[in-house]
Order: sequence, then structure tokens, then C-alpha cells
Amino acid sequence: MTQTPQSLPSDAPVARVVDAVKVYGAKVTAVRALDGVTVDFEGGRFTAIMGPSGSGKSTLLHCLAALDTLTSGQVFIAGRDLGTMTEKELTILRRDRLGFVFQAFNLVPTLTAIENITLPLALAGRRADKEWLDTVVSTVHLGDRLEHRPSELSGGQQQRVAVARALVTRPEIILADEPTGNLDSKSSAEILDFMGKAVRELGQTIVMVTHDPVAAAHADRVVFLTDGQVVDELASPTAEGILDRIKSLGG
Amino acid sequence: MFRVTLKGLLGHLPRLVSTFLAVLLGVAFLAGTLVLTDTIKRTFDDLFASVSKGTDAYVRSAAKLSGERGAQDSRARLDESVLQAVSRVDGVRADAPQVQGYAQLVDKKGKAMGTPGRGAPTFGGNWISVAGLNPFRLAEGSAPTSANDVVIDRRSARLGHFAVGDSITILLPNVAPQPYRVSGIATFGAADSPLGASYALFDLQTAERTMAQPGRIDGISLVAQPGVSQAELAARVQKVVPAGVEVKTGAEITKENQDQFSKNITGLTIFFNAFAVIALVVGGFVIYNTFSILIAQRLREMALLRAIGASRRQVLLSMVGEALAVGLVSSVAGVLLGIAVGAGLKALLAGFGLDIPATGLVVRPATVIIGLLVGTVVTLVAALAPSIRGARVPPIAAMRDTAIDRTGASRLRLVVGVLLTGLGVAAVLSGVLGSAAGSVTALGAVAVLVGVVALGPVVAAPVSRLIGSPIPKLKGITGVLARENAMRNPRRTAGTASALLIGVGVVSLLAAMASSFKASISDQISRSFTGDVTVDSGAFGFGGFSPSLAHQLNRLPEVAAATPIRFGAFEQGGSTRNVLVIDPQTLPKVLDLQVTAGKLSDLGSRQVAVYDVKAKSSGWKLGDTVIARFAETGDQTFTIAAMFHRNDIAPTFVMGTTAYDANVPNSLDQQIFVKFKSGVSFAAGRAAVEQAVKPYPNATVKDQQELKQTFTSQINQVLSLMFVMLLLALLIALMGIANTLRLSVYERTHEIGLLRAVGMTRSQLRSSIRWESAIIALFGTVGGVGLGVFFGWALVHGLGRDQHIVFAPPTGLLVTIFVLGALAGVAAAIRPAAKAAKLDVLTAIATE
Repeated sequence: MTQTPQSLPSDAPVARVVDAVKVYGAKVTAVRALDGVTVDFEGGRFTAIMGPSGSGKSTLLHCLAALDTLTSGQVFIAGRDLGTMTEKELTILRRDRLGFVFQAFNLVPTLTAIENITLPLALAGRRADKEWLDTVVSTVHLGDRLEHRPSELSGGQQQRVAVARALVTRPEIILADEPTGNLDSKSSAEILDFMGKAVRELGQTIVMVTHDPVAAAHADRVVFLTDGQVVDELASPTAEGILDRIKSLGG
Repeated sequence: MFRVTLKGLLGHLPRLVSTFLAVLLGVAFLAGTLVLTDTIKRTFDDLFASVSKGTDAYVRSAAKLSGERGAQDSRARLDESVLQAVSRVDGVRADAPQVQGYAQLVDKKGKAMGTPGRGAPTFGGNWISVAGLNPFRLAEGSAPTSANDVVIDRRSARLGHFAVGDSITILLPNVAPQPYRVSGIATFGAADSPLGASYALFDLQTAERTMAQPGRIDGISLVAQPGVSQAELAARVQKVVPAGVEVKTGAEITKENQDQFSKNITGLTIFFNAFAVIALVVGGFVIYNTFSILIAQRLREMALLRAIGASRRQVLLSMVGEALAVGLVSSVAGVLLGIAVGAGLKALLAGFGLDIPATGLVVRPATVIIGLLVGTVVTLVAALAPSIRGARVPPIAAMRDTAIDRTGASRLRLVVGVLLTGLGVAAVLSGVLGSAAGSVTALGAVAVLVGVVALGPVVAAPVSRLIGSPIPKLKGITGVLARENAMRNPRRTAGTASALLIGVGVVSLLAAMASSFKASISDQISRSFTGDVTVDSGAFGFGGFSPSLAHQLNRLPEVAAATPIRFGAFEQGGSTRNVLVIDPQTLPKVLDLQVTAGKLSDLGSRQVAVYDVKAKSSGWKLGDTVIARFAETGDQTFTIAAMFHRNDIAPTFVMGTTAYDANVPNSLDQQIFVKFKSGVSFAAGRAAVEQAVKPYPNATVKDQQELKQTFTSQINQVLSLMFVMLLLALLIALMGIANTLRLSVYERTHEIGLLRAVGMTRSQLRSSIRWESAIIALFGTVGGVGLGVFFGWALVHGLGRDQHIVFAPPTGLLVTIFVLGALAGVAAAIRPAAKAAKLDVLTAIATE
């Protein structure tokens, strides 16, 4: 089975969140991490989700990533309602149609860089599409370090490998959780450029959670969350524009 | 610091479960064996004391032939006339003559009960009517009142479904098998039978006639008049008995029986304790490994303690204190469980035919102390090295990022390991192939074991890679992860595998020795079995069938020759010698002993034949004389009439039936080799022999293959008992694997979360952990099999030089061991894998 390539930018939403509510804890101490979020993510675009700590941005990302479930509401990925899928279906969805980049420790320490990149394919028992793999690998700029273990790579290199892994299956959507949170500014810029290229040159779709306006400025669109609700949006953002908006939101 | 220790202990209690269980099981087994042997000893001490309680003195012949390897001495009989002299002695209130001999009961299907050559003996005797002198007590029915009556032990009655009034056929040395009437069923003290032996008890005359000789008795039990002490009675009686007759007090007889029994069960005690020690050694490895991992995982905590001012000593003490607490608690539990284990082992022995009467279990204070001490010391010793490593952590490590992964391959370890292994192998080889002393060989074996265990961490990674190399081809990335995880911490992998290595090593050693024995016995039978069939009595030295059977067989038209043999003994040059008793006329027609000098047909009542090698070393020539001492007849002089070279069937001495019968009363044929006439088909010959042996219930006709099976099945039975004993050690080793995996999974929580996030399914994750476990288990299995087979080879060669034993590797069994090793690894992984698969992905990723 071949995956549907998302090679061209399209306005049809790849991921869609409808009236999402997520409540943590029991009655008295209940926290509404998501409180009626409705938002669409179009294909071929780079979206940043921003908000103060506790705003629910990470929860939203985890629910999009099929790692967490909603208390009510729906999440659709490529038209499928995640709430109706079994644990195994969700795992396979993550493997074949989603990509992940976490803040740190993204890689399996016992596998080499190239093994980490092709891990989702290997788990699916599929061979890599040679041309696409070459494309992905060449953009990582690892050169002869592809056969090295993560412990022998720098933090920036490790995150690039993580992005490459997220790209390798040509997923519907890549979800990144503070991907530059642990990096110095130079490495951060590299990763963000790399992600930007993945969207604009390779036609991928990325949703990234960040609290860094500079990072968010690399996106095509910024969604602002506060207290579990979408409070604002900004298209074609700049770092200054984002900062202004944050100030006006009282964050 | 005490509170820190306590908190630490309580904080990760679940992870100490395997340590607890390893100590618990080892100690329980040890305490159980002590309880068992103490119980057996006490039971029989009491039993012997109670059965001879009424006996104040015992009269018997002083001439005896010392039994070999704990067997009872055989004594000459007395003339019944002694009885008259003894009973007239002033102070004797009552006397009871005693007769004992071979008697084998036949069950209702016509099969002889028991195998006196291998199992418990089958005895016969006379029923003693003097109260207090008869060790047996009637449970049902009455004492024998006629020559047709017999009292049997309750165990035989139970096994053979005999009730009072039933007819029972009994095999006796002096008369043809014939039916008797069960007049009563008796117990031996409180036991159904003494140690599973069967008993047939007749009136005195019948006992003498059928088992001994008329007018001959084995001994006389005496009761003293009130006011006459045992010693006084014995002294008075001693004055009237002829020379060569001794009188013992009741207390002396009790002591003798108890000592004899104690000697007999020493082997059993050692046997059980050996397995308890193996279990404890395996447990030691599991403890060492668990503490190593726990301390590695808590290094940051230790560093923090050091950073806030705890001294190295305090940190060390806190960890040692933890080990002490775990060791002590589990030892206490182990001793308690040991009492139950003692009861279980008793049941196991009963399953193997060793019946022990039901009495309370004996728990001596020594058992409790030994159990507590051994358990605690093993735990402390095993935990010491990891604790010292932990205490060495610098305070700064608290601030550093984790990644504390020590590699196992230090140069010192490599050098020491290779040196020890090399020197050990050299020492063993020089002992086996050369002429080094036994102690050098034994020391070498220890060095090999220590060397191999020391080398474990050095070879763990490469060997795991090798073992794991086919797995990625089968399982893809799951297999790669399994292999890499097995390799990532060589010291841990090696430590975990070492526990299994010891257990599997012992199993392989036993398997290699057993297969060598089996192959050698089969080989010996092939070479010595020159006839067509053998008639076997299942007896060895005691019991058998009447010589009339061999005569009958020789008269069959299908039979060319049938030659009977007996396994006997006499004392020569101060030690007991085995002798093969043959019929010199028929033997050469069936068997070739390779006579190198003289003629076997010259073996008459005063001649022997000698193994030529022994003759040469003793400087004996044809015509020389040898003095042999028999219990019944004393010193007898024999002339060497022949020499033979073949010693795989015959021991040093061979003697004719006439000569043996003249010196040993009531001796019976134990095996008959039968050769058919040419032209007689095997089936026809065998059918004729089968027909002829029908009246002899203890005779079984066996061809070469069946005779081999008799021996191999015996070895298999012993082997299976040993394997049952080893199961515990293997179980502890597997718990060790499970625990290592559990701790590793805990350590890799984040990584597992990551793998699950990028699409590893639960079943893939489980499979990966199972394969990792299989690699570790196979690593231990390979090492264990290698060591076990090597030591087995060395032992067989060492023992085999003059025992005709050649090494034969148990190929089939070894393959089974490999497969079981891998499967056991998979089984050990079930729980840790399930736990890993159940981890919540998000929580796992959030874990550092």
C-alpha cells in the first residue's frame, strides 16, 4: 500500500478539530485543558500554536497526534474521526500518516541516525521510497554521520534527524512540540528553516507548538490559545506582530 | 542514615521482589532439605529405639562380611543349639530366635513385587510371638499358626491389594514358588514397612526351611529378668555361647541400627544439599544483578546524598543496610517456607518409592540458624560489590546528566578472565589427559567457572550480536531493537545470563554424564551379550531364582546352552571383593571371557579364576592360592585355576557355582544367558524360553535391546529426579531475567513512549522485549551447555579410565536444552513485556 502523497498545497483541511473539550482530574479538581476548541489545519501549510503555560496548546497537539483522547468533541485526520478508532488503528495512523518531533530525546539511542530516520517505515515493514529518502536525507545535512548513534550527534543534528524521521513516510501532517525548545539560537534557526523548506518545497503540512515568537514567525499562520480556547489567529506572522498580539491578549 | 535506608527500601520495594524471592527460594530449599533429613533421622531413630525397646540383649555370629557403600553387613548364621544354652542362663526371662532371608511376594497378576536389585529389599523372616521382641505389630488378622500361614507388611498389602484370608504366592530360596494364606497384616512400629522393604513372616520352622537351613538361625533376642541390667545379661550370656558368637545389649543394637541408618542417609543429605547450594549460587547472581541495576538507577540519588554531606561510608552503609534487611526478611520467610518444602520433599521421595512414616516435621534450632545465616550472608556478599561501586559516585554526578552506562569490557577483566579460563582449562586437561593430581583438576574447574563468569561482560556484546544476528532478518526493526538492547549493557546482560549459565551448566553436566553412562552400558551389553536372550531376575546379589530354571532351560530343544550367573562377594586381603559366580560347563558355550591361562572347566569347589591384569599386578600365577573369607564358613583357600582378560562383565574374581554354594547358603541365580540352537528362529526360541520361565514370577526374558533399556531407564529415572531438583535453580534464574527486563523497561520508559508514538504497535513492542530476553537466555544457555559438556567430558574421562566409560555427548538433549532455554527466555519476558506495552505513551514520553 502506498501512502497518499501530499505533494501539492491544498486548501482542504488535513486535520480538523471540532468543539474539542478535554477535562483532566475528578469533579472538584477538574481542569478544562481544552474548552470547546474548533480549528482547521489546511494541507501544505505551516501552522504555529501559541499560548501561555496551561493554555492547552500541548493538549491540543497531543490530541491531534492521537496520543491523547478528548473528553468530548472530535478530531479528524484525513477525514477519519480519531474517536472511532481502536488503539491499534491509532498506532498505525501515527506510524503511517503522522509525523512527530518532540522537544528532546527524540531518537532511539540504540539505533543509528539513518535507522532512526527510517524507523516508521521499518516498523511498518516497508522499504523506503529511494528517491524520497534521498531527498529527505540530503536535506538533513548529516553527511557521513548517518551511521552514527544519537549520542554522537549534537542537539541540532539530533533534531534534524527527528524531523527527517517525521518526513520519511510523507505523512498527512507533522506535529512538532517545542522542537527548538532545547536548542541554541543557531541550531533553532536551522531546524525552523528546515521545517519551513519541508512545507514550501516538499509540500508537507506542519503544526508546531511553541512559546517562542521567533520560532512562530517561521509559520504561515499562528493560532493563539488561552484557557483552552482559540482566542485569535494571525496569518503570515512576523515576530513583532506576534509579540504585539500576545501583549494585547494580556499574556 | 537509617531513615534514608528505610525510605530507600520502601521506595522501591517492588523492584526488590526478585531479590526477595531468590533468597527466599534458595533458603527454603536448604531449610527444607535439613528439615527433611532431620525428620527422617529422628523418625527412624525413634523407630529403631521403639522396635528394640523390649530387647535387652541380642545374640549373633561375630563373623561378618562388611557391606559395601553403606549396605548392611552380612553375617553367618548360628546353630539353633545355642538357643538352649542361652535360654538356661540365669536372668533370661524370655528369648526369641530370629531368621531372615530372601522372600519376594507375587502380586495377584502373577508379577513379582519390587526389584531387590535396584529398589528396597524384599525380606522374609519368622513371626516372633514374645511380646516386646517383635518389631512388627499386627494391624489385622492373626500370627501364623501353620506352615501355610504368612503375615505381610501393610505397605505390600496395600500395593498388592491383599486382605487377610487371601492367597499369596511367595518366592523363597529353598522351595518352589507356592501359595500361602495371608493370616495377618502387620506394621513396623508406626510405619507400614521399614523404608519400603517388603516382609513375609512365617512361623519359625517354615522360615528356617524355606529361607535358611533347618536348625540354623540368624540371632536370638533376649528379655532380662527384672533387676538384671542389659550389660549384666549380655555378660552372663556371653559366657555360655561358643566362640565366634557375640552378645550385644539392646542399647548397642539400637545404636548400631541408628548409626547404620544415619550413614545410609548421608548420601541423601548431600544429594539434596548440593541442589540447595546450586539454587543459592544462582540466587546470588540474581541478587548481584538486581542490586547492580538498582544502584545504577539510583546513582543520582546517591550523588545527591553525597552532595549534601553524606560520607562515602554512610552511603555504603545505607546500601549494605538495605541488603541486610532484604536478606534477613527473605531468610526468615525462607526458613518458614522451608518447613513446607521439607514436607513436599518427603512426598517427592515417597513418589520415588522411599516411604517415610507420617510423623511431625523436625525443625532443629540449627536448621533455623543455618537458613538465616546462609540467606543473609549470600545476600550481603552478592550486594557488596554493587554497593561499593555505588558509594564511589562523586557528588558532582548529581548535577550531571544521566547516561551512566558502564561498559563491561575493562582490560583488567579481560586479562584476568582469559588467564583464569586458560589456566583452568589447562589444569583440567592435564588432569584428564595427563596425570595431574585430582586437586589440580578440581582447582582448574573452579578457575574455568570463575574465569568464564568474569569474561561474561567482555563477551556479552559480541556473543549477543552473534546470537541475535538472524533475528533482524526474521523480525525487521523489532529484531534490531531486541539485539541492540541485549547488547547495550554488557555487564547487565552477562550478570543476568550467568545465573542461567550455572543452572544450565549443571543440567548439561548431568545430561552429558548420563548419556555417557548409558552409551557405555549399551556398548558393554552389546559386547558381552553373546547369547540370544537373557533371563533377568531383577536381583543383584540378593534374591534371584532357583538353579532349577537354568537346568530346565538347558533341556529345551530350542536352546543350545543356558548359563546362569550370580553376583557374589567375599573378603580378600582385608577388603570386600565382588565375585562373578558361573557355571564352568555352560558358560564358555555362551560367553567368551577371553581365558589367557588355564581352563574355566577346572573351576571346582576349591578353585577361582582371576582377571589377568590384576593377577600380574599382584604377582599371582596359575596354581597360586588365594585366601577368601566368607561370613558363614570363614577363611577358605582357593587355587588359581584360570586367568581371563575380559573384565567388562566379570570383576577381578570368577568362581564356580559349586565353590560358592559351599560357602554361601541359599544363594540363587540372578541372570541366565541363553543361546539358541542354530536353525531355531529368534521368535521360536524366545517363545520357548518365555514358556519355561512362566512358573518363576520374578524372571523376565529380555533381548539385548530390552536389557539395555532396563539400565538406561534406571539412569533416566535418577536423571529426572535430579532435573526436578534443578528446576528451582532454573526458576530463580528465569526470575532474574524477568527482573532485569523489568528494570530495563523501567529505565527505557521514555524510549518506549517514543517508539510507541512513532508507530510501534503493542505487539511489536512485546515481541521486541521477548526477543531481547531470548537472546539473554540463549547467551546463558550456550555458556552453560559449553561448560557443562566440558566438565562432563572431563569427569567421564577422569572416572572412565578403569570403568569402561566413554564420553558420549547427549546431542538430542542439548538441542532440547537450547530450545527450552530460548523458550524460557520468552516466558520470562511475558510480564515485563506486557507491562511495557501497557505504558501510557504520553506519560512515558514525559519521563526522562
